[in-house]
Amino acid sequence: MDSKVCRIGEGEHREITLVFAPGSAGPEPLVFELAGPGASLDLACLYLCDGDDRLDFDVRVRHLCSGCTSRQLFKGVCRGRSKMNFNGLIYVAPDSQKTKAYQECHTLLLSPEALAQASPQLEIYADDVECSHGATVGSLSEEELFYMRSRGIPEAEARRLQIISFISPVLSRLEEDRQREILDLL
Amino acid sequence: MSDILLQINDLHAGIEGREILKGVNLTVRSGEVHAVLGPNGAGKSTLSAVLAGKPEYKVLGGEIIYRGRNLLEMTPEERSWAGIFLSFQYPVEIPGVSITNFMKAAVGARRKAQGLPELSAGEFLKLLKEKMAFVQMKPEFAKREVNVGFSGGEKKRNEIFQMSMLDPVLSILDETDSGLDVDALRIVADGVNALLTPEKSCMIITHYQKLLEYIKPSVVHVLKDGRIVRSEGSELVDEIERNGFEGM
Repeated sequence: MDSKVCRIGEGEHREITLVFAPGSAGPEPLVFELAGPGASLDLACLYLCDGDDRLDFDVRVRHLCSGCTSRQLFKGVCRGRSKMNFNGLIYVAPDSQKTKAYQECHTLLLSPEALAQASPQLEIYADDVECSHGATVGSLSEEELFYMRSRGIPEAEARRLQIISFISPVLSRLEEDRQREILDLL
Repeated sequence: MSDILLQINDLHAGIEGREILKGVNLTVRSGEVHAVLGPNGAGKSTLSAVLAGKPEYKVLGGEIIYRGRNLLEMTPEERSWAGIFLSFQYPVEIPGVSITNFMKAAVGARRKAQGLPELSAGEFLKLLKEKMAFVQMKPEFAKREVNVGFSGGEKKRNEIFQMSMLDPVLSILDETDSGLDVDALRIVADGVNALLTPEKSCMIITHYQKLLEYIKPSVVHVLKDGRIVRSEGSELVDEIERNGFEGM
């Protein structure tokens, strides 16, 4: 399917926060073009997968001219037998010097059957650029869990606190009402 | 004699299939301060972990009775609600959770378990401020993430702060004095001493004897190779100071 392209022009700054609640269908490919000097993108995405959810992200951030910045932060949790697959491409066109591009994708697995996979890709044709990507797939820390329980915080609540702290960098970008809605889903 | 608070009978316990405690017997009565001293590897941290209910430690034999209840059947949170507090040797960092939210969850859960009404936001903050001031923690720490970026001394002070917030019946201090300078040691000791009443007890597990200059133990135990080899009055501290644990 052809995807819509989000073009960001000269000097323009775009801040986008996406949320995928349990049961969400995967999005169309997310394509961003930094098309004018000094354009910047700040993209954050929160995903909560459960049951048999299958969420595929195909994110392409294209730096087409000099001096543009892009940041991507994907954070989420997978429960049940859900699967999350992240494909992220950062493309830096020839002569797009002074590009800064960052991409991170971190997933917490909350059940033994849940799966997450992240494949970041960099395609860079300019030499004066600063690019980084990082991806982790982990589970809740048993040390933290025991510490909280030893203070009387019940196990279920301790796990919830850990999940909230994990997603908080994305969650905190949303309006309070929306934050509360999401907390009710945990 | 006052009531028995904690009774450990022939406790065998270990981790990853290795037996570390090989028959520990120990009785703590209300109002007593017990010091458990011993060389590295004697099983001191295993003892504190088993008392707090750390899941990876397995009890292989014996029993622990706390206020008439079988402690080993209680979850870590139930032990906390029943008044047991462990000050960790290595306090855990919890990124993304502020001290305020952490303590709110802990105090709230405890009051609920005890059938007490929830504290109002105002009451809670007042208690928090009061206890932070008591251990000389700066007010801005209330917003900091639990133990993240704290110095060694700040982490230990945070343990004593949590202890005073939770007002435990039996406080277990696992190497709380290690890595503390004299000022921090004094704050920790003042915190512990202030909590001690005739109904409450404290177990100080330590490799050093420094903290015992400030908190006077009623009974001193030497734990060696998984067993308690001596149990005497505070004069034992001086003997250890002079001769070490060799030959005990």
